[in-house]
Parts: sequence; C-alpha cells; structure tokens
Amino acid sequence: MPRVLGLVSERRAAAGWAVTLAVALAAPLVMGSYQLSIATSVLTFAMLGLGLNIVVGYAGLLDLGYAAFFAIGAYTSSLLSLEAGLGFWQTLPFAVVATAIGGCIIGYPTLRLRSDYLAIVTLGFGEIVRIIATNLTITGGPNGLYGIPAPGIAGVSITSIPGLYYLGLAFTVAALLLSWVLSRSWLGYAWRSLREDETAAEAVGVPTVRVKLLAYVMGAIVGGVAGPFFAARFGAVDPTSFTFLVSVQILLVVIVGGMGSLPGVLLGALVIIALPEALRAVADFRLLIFALALIALMVFRPQGLWPAPRPRGAPRGRPVPAAPLEAAAPATRGQPAAGEDLLTVAGVSRRFGGVRAVDDVSFTVRTGEIVSIIGPNGAGKTTLFNCITGVTKPDAGRVVLHGGRHGRRVLHRRAPHRVVAAGLARTFQGIRLFDGLSAADNVLVGRYCRRRRDGWRTSRGLTGGLVGVSGATHAEVRRWLGFVGLGDRGDSLARELSYGERRRLEIARALASEPFAVLLDEPAAGTNPTEKNELMGLIRQVRDSGVSVVLIEHDMDLVMSVSDRVIVMDQGQMIAEGTPEQVRGNQRVIDAYLGGEEETAAETVEEVLGWRS
Amino acid sequence: MSQFLQYLVNGLTIGAFLSLTALGYTMIYGIIRLINFAHGDIFMVGAFAGYTVLVAAAAAHVPVALIVMAALVAGMLFTGLLGVVVERVAYQPLLSAPRLAILISALGASLALEESARLIFGAGFSSYPHLLPTAGFGVAGVRLTYAQVGMFVMAVLLMVGLYLFVHRTMLGTAMRALAMDRDAARLMGINVERIILLTFFLGSVLAGAAGVMQGLYYTQINFIMGFLIGLRAFTAAVLGGIGNIPGAMVAGLLIGLLQSFAAAYVSARWTDALVFCVLILVLVVKPTGLFGERIVERV
Repeated sequence: MPRVLGLVSERRAAAGWAVTLAVALAAPLVMGSYQLSIATSVLTFAMLGLGLNIVVGYAGLLDLGYAAFFAIGAYTSSLLSLEAGLGFWQTLPFAVVATAIGGCIIGYPTLRLRSDYLAIVTLGFGEIVRIIATNLTITGGPNGLYGIPAPGIAGVSITSIPGLYYLGLAFTVAALLLSWVLSRSWLGYAWRSLREDETAAEAVGVPTVRVKLLAYVMGAIVGGVAGPFFAARFGAVDPTSFTFLVSVQILLVVIVGGMGSLPGVLLGALVIIALPEALRAVADFRLLIFALALIALMVFRPQGLWPAPRPRGAPRGRPVPAAPLEAAAPATRGQPAAGEDLLTVAGVSRRFGGVRAVDDVSFTVRTGEIVSIIGPNGAGKTTLFNCITGVTKPDAGRVVLHGGRHGRRVLHRRAPHRVVAAGLARTFQGIRLFDGLSAADNVLVGRYCRRRRDGWRTSRGLTGGLVGVSGATHAEVRRWLGFVGLGDRGDSLARELSYGERRRLEIARALASEPFAVLLDEPAAGTNPTEKNELMGLIRQVRDSGVSVVLIEHDMDLVMSVSDRVIVMDQGQMIAEGTPEQVRGNQRVIDAYLGGEEETAAETVEEVLGWRS
Repeated sequence: MSQFLQYLVNGLTIGAFLSLTALGYTMIYGIIRLINFAHGDIFMVGAFAGYTVLVAAAAAHVPVALIVMAALVAGMLFTGLLGVVVERVAYQPLLSAPRLAILISALGASLALEESARLIFGAGFSSYPHLLPTAGFGVAGVRLTYAQVGMFVMAVLLMVGLYLFVHRTMLGTAMRALAMDRDAARLMGINVERIILLTFFLGSVLAGAAGVMQGLYYTQINFIMGFLIGLRAFTAAVLGGIGNIPGAMVAGLLIGLLQSFAAAYVSARWTDALVFCVLILVLVVKPTGLFGERIVERV
C-alpha cells in the first residue's frame, strides 16, 4: 500500500514539475518586458535560494551571510572577463571554484560552533566580503565594475530580455536538478541527520565535519553560478547588491517557501521578489506591508507556504513480518572467533575539573559475550562509554578493537564516526533518534559507514545512479527493522513511535553498521515489564547473531539474567568484575549500592537490589 | 600619548552606548534564545523619540538639563513599551515554534520598525538640536566634555542598576531561573510570559537610553542607524558570552575601543571588517565568548 501511494504522489509531483516548466517556458509569449525582467530576478533569487536551501534546509546550518557567495561569484566572473578577457562561460568554472573556496573559508572555522554563533559568524563574513569589495581598487570600490560583456551562445551574445530570462531558467533548472539529486543521495541523508541531532549523527557513523563542510561548499557553488549570471545580465556589479538585506532576502526565500522543499524555494522566490513589485500600487508602504506580512506568516504558518513533504520511509518494499530471527544473522566480517579478545580497554581515565569521572578502568570483552557495567548513579559508566566511542577523549589509557581488516584498531583519540566504522556501535542513555526522519531513514543513516559495501547501484532506476542510495542498502534497512520487530513501522516518523519502539529503533540503527560489538546505555530505562522481557530476548538475539553486547543497566533482573560477566563501577573506579554470582556476593558492591559501613542485613540487600543471597 | 588617550576616551564613550544596547541582546537571548534583530531598531526608535521631545521642547523656554532629562526618560519609556508590543505581537505566539520562525519574525519586526521610521521622519538625516554644553576640562592633555562624562556615568549607573536588579531582586531571580529552564520556572509558579515581557521592557529601555545619548552625542540620526549599531552591539553580546550580563558590558566597551582605535590607526572604512574579524577569531579560539561559561552538551 505505501508503495502504491508513493508512486502516485511521485507521478503527481512529476506532472506538477512538467506543468511548471511549460508555464515558465511559455511566459515570454504573454509577459511584457518589465514583467519578464522581474521574472528573471525571481529566477536569480530562486537559484540563490536553492543554494542556501542546501545549507539551511538540508543541513540545518543557519547562514546569514549567503550574499557573500553571490558576491564572490559575481566579482570573480566580472574581473576575469574585464581583466583577462575571458568569455562568460570560461569564467564560470573559476567563479564556481572561487565560491567553493569561499565556502571552505567560512565553513572551516565555524564547523564546531553552536548554531547561534554560526549565525553571527556568517553575518560577519558577509559584511567582511562586502566591505572588501567596497574598499578595494580592483573591485572598483563603491562604484563597482561595469561594461561586463553579455554571455554568448555560439557566437551570439544574449542581451535581449527574453534571452536572459531563458538563460536564467536554464540555470535554475540545473540548480533544481542538482538539489534533487543531492537530497536523495547519501550526502542528503547525512545532512538531514546532522540537522536533527549532530552528536547522534557523528556517533552512528556520519563524519559530521566533512559533511558540514560539503554542505557549505555545495551551497556556495550554486551561489557561484547565480553571481556571474547576475553580473552578465546587468553588465555591472556594485557592492550594494550584496548587503545584509540581500542575505536576509535569500534566507526568506528559503523560509517563506518552506525549508528543504524545492517547490517551496521557487514559491518563496516568487513571493519575496514579485510581491513587493506587485505592491507598487501602494508605493511607499510596500516594504512596511511586506514586513508585517512576514511576521503574520511566521505566526500563522511557521512551516512555510509549501513545506517539504513528510518524509516517507526509504524502503518501498513489502513490510517484513516482525522479528524473523534466523534471517537476521549479520554479516559481521573478520571478527575474532568466539571467546577470543574483542575489545580491550586498558587504564582509561577521564577527569572533569577535579572529578575523576573514570579512573584507570581496564577490562576486556570477548567475542560472543554479554558484559554488563553496573554501578550507582555518577559512577562514571556513561563517561566510560563516551571514552570508548570517541565522544569524549580519554585523558589516558588505550582502547583497542581486535579483528577486522587491519587485525586490530586503536580507538582512543579517534572521532566517533571512525569508531563506528571500525566496528563498535552504541545507543544513548536518553534516546537520541533523528526525530524528524522516518524510522527507516534512521536505520539508513546508521548504514552510512557501510555505504560502499552496499554499492552505488540503485533499485530505483534513474534516481541519481551516481549518488543515490542502493537497493542493497534498502534491503539492509528492511532487514534490521524486521530484526527489532519494527518491520511495519518503517514509514512512521521516529517521534511518532512509542517509547519501547524508539529504544528498539535505536538498537536497529546501531546494528545497521554491522558492528562487532554494540554498546547499549540503559536500554531498559523506563520500559514496562513486558517490554523489558522483549528487550532481554532481543539482547540475546543480538548476541546469538554474533554481535557482542556491552550493557550499562540499573535493572538488576535484566543484568543478572542476560549477562555472562558483570563489571561494577563506583566513583570512577572498577570495584568488581566477575560472573553475576560472583558479583552478587561481593561485599564492596553491596556497600557501593547501600553505602553501608556496618553489616547490611540480607533482607535489605534483597529488598533494594533484588538479590537473593 | 595624549592622542592615544583621546582615542581611548572616545572609544569608551561609544563603547558605553554599545554596552547598553548589547545588554538587551544578551538578556533577550539568555531568556528566550532569540537573536532579536529588531533590537538595533529599538535603539533607533529611542533616538527618534528623544529627537521628537527635544524638537518640541526646544521652542519652550525650559532649562536645557530638564529638556535633556525629559528626552531621555521619554525615549526610554517609549522604547520600553515598544519592546513589549513587539514581543507580544511578533514573538510570544512563536515561543514554542521552531527557532528559525521566531528569528524570521524578528527580521520582519526589524524591517517594520525601520520602514515606519522612514515613513514618519523621511529617509534623510535628522539633526538633534545642539543642546549639550561644549564646556569641559582637560586631564593629561585629553579633553573631556562634561556631557561626555555625564553620559558615561549615566550609562554605568544604568548598567549597575540592571545588574543589581537581576541579581538582588525576586523578579531578577525569576528572570535568571527562566533563563536556565523555562519549564521548571513555570512549574515553580513563575509567570513566564510576564517575566519575558519584563525582560523585553528592560532591554528596550536600555537601548532607548543609548539611542537618545547617541543622538545627543553625534546629533545626526536616521532610520537605518540601528542596523550597524545593532550589529556591533550584537558582536559585543557574543564577545562577552551571550546571555552573560557583565560580559556584555565589558565587551561593549572593548568593541567601542576597537572601533575608535581602528578608525584612528587603520582606516574608518575598514573598522567594521576589523570588528567582525576579531569576533570570528574569538569565536574560533574560544567559542563561548570572552567570559562565557562552557556549555557542555549532555550525551
């Protein structure tokens, strides 16, 4: 059923685009030259909006200085044609390269900034570029550059208003196609995961730094085409075309239409550029009316005029019946044989200020084991997980994962996404899913580090054979959803799932990376007894399928029944290690939990910890 | 040397206005995580409100000191109320909407204020009457006017008053609680909407005061002046660690000094580029601002 619906809506969308294109092509037949030149401006801003949409809409990075890329493109092309005598088309690659470099310059230092600081840094960058253009002699100072030759095709230069309109249309269509392909590519999925939760994206295998930088570069490149077009169209550029207000206008094109939505961007360009023109009748009041309309739009329709469609589940295949255990044996390649050392943690320490959160912890996990880490709140369990998975850098100690192509991998000091690629996946104590993505897309992002193994071939024909997500990946996604019993929920948004389902989805996302071992941080927290039993079964299934499990858990029933070994931590240190039975009888463990110096009555132990001694 | 000191004094004077404006940015960001783009324009409206009072009062024969005080109070009250109105209309319905929606609404509010001012007062410059006495005194070769000193003292008093209000009163404590956790504050019986309005009122009052003082000091004002001052003040707010009140005060003075020295020793044309370069450098080296507390994300 979802498959049929998907095809219908896809066909309808294709028809919509065809009609839009036909109307756009026919427009010069009915429009006067004034209207047509407004339409060309709309196209220019549509291009810019499409570029910014990659940064803001897809990757969720706020950019308040996008006009800088517009300026870099325009000035690069103009200078090359004026000073070096290059033709419009010859300057284009240089303009694109220049803006891409600009994208790196703005992107690189801002990669680790919070989004609010990102806003001010991009704003500052935009102003710096404008001030430079205003003050340098080579850029013509405040007067700018003029006499820029018109673009030519086959020796005929395009100067007529309809000619320029069609050129703009061609560029806009190209930008649309690029955006569309990108949105369906691995990069597109990585960007969306980044937008939803950056830390989680990194922790499930997305190289967030590189992916962010690519968002800036890709976004800048589109602006790098709009700039030369703008300059060649008017034959002149000056700094007033690249003010903060222009950056705001471009941002509004994206927001008013609906972030991440391609038809939205086109509609946004139409509203932002054509509406103030249409309001010329009220002459002086038009900007005021426009400003008030903007506030009203945000108050009454903050998602924009034409928001991006609700994401559907990526795999459009038949839903898989829940939990087919046998079918789900993961292809965990090259891990040590059962019973051999898999993960070695040696002397790991981490302090925060004066607190030793993790203090010289060493242990080993062997292939095929379920190892639990228990301890009172604040014992350092989650920090230990963070040190192992690269989320926090340990001050001292080594973490080594055995097996794999290289025989062994040193994990400490590696970025989290590399830890995942090496074969160690995790879940979070407070569930961190990509709430705005479908369940299937969540799992798909978990597959990111194995995308090459799945190959590039796509089962969906033309859907970007170069960068699209392959059919093999979709099959994997279905397999893992089925494994955790969510085979029929792939199309639901992650935020719509029940608490227990969300826990299981997070496990599926971790397993999709085909790890040797998975680190589960309090998977039973907040689950009811039925869900807890299911979870125990699931953890055993994971182990039986060949993936070792390291578990942080407070629920003693669960720990004692599933664990092969238990590690007990207190105040950053390991205070005991052994089989559940050995740990149960350990006086230090009982003291750590009950804080008692004196003899603790057996009944209290039983009451608090549920242990029968 | 005396030249240097003169630039220092000028920088501190500009910086005091920037500090006052930066406080509004930092308070509002602290409490609802919004970069209030309209704040620079509130500053501009303050300048025009003071201008209106001064022009009206200039005809009457009233002592100068009284007129100036009246203009200052009128500017502060008017912008305070305007800030409240803007919050009610453009921000309050969006407090729980996606962050970008409220940001765009703020851009809309900014544009609306600028356009309103342009329609009322015209696109050109308006001139404050030359009311301030030019008398002054010299210290170590530096010339200071009494008016300059008076305004600096006024700005510092306002800032100290704000600091005491936020840290010593029940309402200030409620504000700080709200900045930490809005939902928890609500559960503790704090009227969240009213405290947010109060924050906007206070922030706007300070910006209004800065606007009137700027008008008195430079005498030339226009509808677009809030943009650049707003950018600089916002830079100061970020530099001081956004949400950090004493940080914004100090950073405002620093930006003022930077502006003054850059204009003197480099070139006025490159001043703002320099301001932004410094900002970007600081953010890259120490992303929480000069005095900001490290925000550790909980995993």
